[in-house]
Amino acid sequence: MNFERRLELRPLVVTTAIGLLFATGAFAQDMRDTIVHGADEEPATLDPSQVEPGAGGEAVIFHVYDRLLTVGADSADLLPSLATEVPTRDNGLISEDGLTYTFPLREGVVFHDGTPFTADDVMYSWDRVIEMAMPEGASDILSDKIAEMRVVDDFTFEVTLNQIDASFLYSSVLPMTASIVSQDAVEANGGVAEGEPNEFLSGNPVGTGPYQLAGWNRTENLTIEVNDGYWGTPAFDNVRWEFGLDPDVRVLGLRAGEFDTVETDPSYIADLEGVEGVIVYGEGLLLEPLHIGFNLNIPEGVLPSGDTIPLDFFHDVRIRKAFNYAFDYNAFVNGALAGFGQVNPHYVPIGVFGYDPEAPIYDTQDLAEAERLFREAGVWDEGFTVSVVVESGSLFEIQCLILKDSIERLNPNFRINVAGVAEAVFDEALAQSPVEYAMWAKNGDPAADPSAYLETYAHPDGEWGEVHGFANGYADPEAVGALIDAIAQELDPATRADLIGEAQRVLYDDPMWLIGAQEGAVTAYRDTIKGMVIQPLWPRPSMNFALYDKQN
Amino acid sequence: MQLRDYIIRRLIVLPILLLGVSIIVFSLTRIAGSPVGVYLSHEMSAAEVLQIEQRFNLDKPLPVQYFYWLKGVFQGDFGWSGVASAPVADVFPAKFAATMELSITSAIVAVALGLWLGTYAGVRRNKMPDHITRIVAVSAASLPLFWFGILLLIVFWANLGWFPVGRSTNDIWESIAHPTGFYIIDSILAGSLTALLDALWHLVLPSITLGFGGVAIIARMMRSSLIEELQQDYVDAARAKGLPERLVLKRHAKRNALVPTVTVIGLTIAFLMQGAIAAEIIFRWPGLGRWMADAVVRGDQATIMTYVLFTSVLFLLANLVVDIIYAKLDPRVRLGD
Repeated sequence: MNFERRLELRPLVVTTAIGLLFATGAFAQDMRDTIVHGADEEPATLDPSQVEPGAGGEAVIFHVYDRLLTVGADSADLLPSLATEVPTRDNGLISEDGLTYTFPLREGVVFHDGTPFTADDVMYSWDRVIEMAMPEGASDILSDKIAEMRVVDDFTFEVTLNQIDASFLYSSVLPMTASIVSQDAVEANGGVAEGEPNEFLSGNPVGTGPYQLAGWNRTENLTIEVNDGYWGTPAFDNVRWEFGLDPDVRVLGLRAGEFDTVETDPSYIADLEGVEGVIVYGEGLLLEPLHIGFNLNIPEGVLPSGDTIPLDFFHDVRIRKAFNYAFDYNAFVNGALAGFGQVNPHYVPIGVFGYDPEAPIYDTQDLAEAERLFREAGVWDEGFTVSVVVESGSLFEIQCLILKDSIERLNPNFRINVAGVAEAVFDEALAQSPVEYAMWAKNGDPAADPSAYLETYAHPDGEWGEVHGFANGYADPEAVGALIDAIAQELDPATRADLIGEAQRVLYDDPMWLIGAQEGAVTAYRDTIKGMVIQPLWPRPSMNFALYDKQN
Repeated sequence: MQLRDYIIRRLIVLPILLLGVSIIVFSLTRIAGSPVGVYLSHEMSAAEVLQIEQRFNLDKPLPVQYFYWLKGVFQGDFGWSGVASAPVADVFPAKFAATMELSITSAIVAVALGLWLGTYAGVRRNKMPDHITRIVAVSAASLPLFWFGILLLIVFWANLGWFPVGRSTNDIWESIAHPTGFYIIDSILAGSLTALLDALWHLVLPSITLGFGGVAIIARMMRSSLIEELQQDYVDAARAKGLPERLVLKRHAKRNALVPTVTVIGLTIAFLMQGAIAAEIIFRWPGLGRWMADAVVRGDQATIMTYVLFTSVLFLLANLVVDIIYAKLDPRVRLGD
């Protein structure tokens, strides 16, 4: 072929090559499937500064934003994410005094809007959370702990804490609140204002994560698509969350093949076992103990009219222990949870660092011991009536009904009124300080470090300790507080684990809750989904869709 | 009174009526307490609750709260929906279009099937087809809508997989523009047969569920009217003239039998609007009904107020239109007296 002829053919060759390129690109695009997930709850916001721990928005934030650190599928060990190393004393990224953490950051990362990621974005993201201090969010996980933040250079970020905190990386860096947002995107769309939600970021996340938001039809569905420019291992398929579905509709949808994965609780698993094309996954436990709270801080004249208990009823440890002995754990775990669950100690969930399996635990109904304690406390003959408030139609309500059955069977003079109310009413009741019920049932917020649980649910000056007046009940509240503080500040893992075991024993002798069980990490999915794995440290439903490959 | 004067008078009264309705509904929704719960999470402190109340002006006295709400309405701001996590005004149009589309197709099912069944049974009085039609009609009137819907859902969606639930196949929905929000109209405007078929396919189960109750009422009314008309002298006269039975029925008896039936059809369409709530919940239809049901359960006052305000406007205008049509059709009707 002569040169002129080759020149004539060149446009054709180039056009064909470009065409093929586009065609293969389009083909690759077409090859990408969409995983459809039947979700339990729609996000209220996608803004990390406003998202409530444990709420539906966290699952989306988890996929569209990155944080400095993460955890993988196989263990609870911290892994680098936007930071290139996990700070430890050994690698010198935690200072000798244990107060300063240095995060070397990944270079070449870009946000979904194309702007580059630098240490300024980290500083801005965390500052923003602290400054906004949104009531719905968890700004205190940063503001309570951080004394100072510094941008050392474009790719080095440093944090100094108020005091030594062994849980800092797990309780402050890992949560969705600490996600890194694009400074440029926020500043271009409303910026930062104290106590004011940013409506743009609430519905338009701009992160560096493996997915980016493709669409959100409020009350219906939300779609995220694979971020082709992701710095890490790219995700396989797009994902669509479907909202507003009753649990039984989700189960039917999975059976019908309309959903690939669903969020469900163990009580629905029996409907899915043995169904063709459906796989039931049940390994591990969620980090959300199902608990019933005892109120030791009841104001005068607020209890429901039928309640006959004195205001200091739960100040008596014998009564709190008697309730713990009376509860039918077997009925709850093997009935309501269909065997997918395990009773955990006060108040350290199984699976978090330091959990001591040797510590004593309330896991068996002991009616004789319960009777002995009730008699000793002087309430056996006279009896009592007490109400427990709970969200109606929930698993927590079943827990309350089992408690009612357990207690009322023990003595006909004992009466538990289960006040099932709508979610909004329940939330409002619990937001009262002090709470105007003697008992309530819910689950604990998930966390990755034992201190988060102990400080929130056991410390006499902690979040619930103050509201419930734990100081009125502990035999030695100062000692309990000091022990929990020591756990938070102990950097040596072995010593810290010993202290956690000690706390479990102390809280067994002086329980402030009735913990029904830790719910099993259970779900069901279509067999077309490959790579299914659940990690309780990932936001509920503990799934990471970037790891799942849909193969039709 | 002149028709024009009557219309002007009614239009002047309309805002006053709406104001009254809004005050009553606003007060009623507050009897159960503050709507702050829909914006709360379960572990908020009292100070955080106060922050939320301040954000939505819920810390102010009730009349002031009403004033803020009214001021917002005049500015096109109907409040923040806790259920949808978005401004009500942003979400409302799409939901309204979805509900109207479902109600209209259900009405078509109810009217078409009801008239056909009623006619079929009426001309075969006391014969087997009439008995069968009666059984169908009685069943349709007696079956609770939610039960019938779930039955269809289990059989045709979960087990056979013949029909989908929801309003659309996501990819197809996203492949066309939605200028009107009515999927059928949008698919026609976009010239997409795939989208049109998708829209119709998704409408089958909820429309049948919703329309089925209406079928019974319309069919029974049509049957009895037709039987009555077929016994009239003018029908005998038409037959005596040698007119074929088909024309006797179509041109004479059926046309007259339709008059009372049309009244029932009007009532049935109102019934369909109410029934849409259950149908939308069962079939995951993204309309006003499902949104409202969630809003009522969760105490989402901004959504409830907008819905009530909107339906009030709709009914008041519909009443006005009906009055005008009556006056046009029947000169004996005197407006405003």
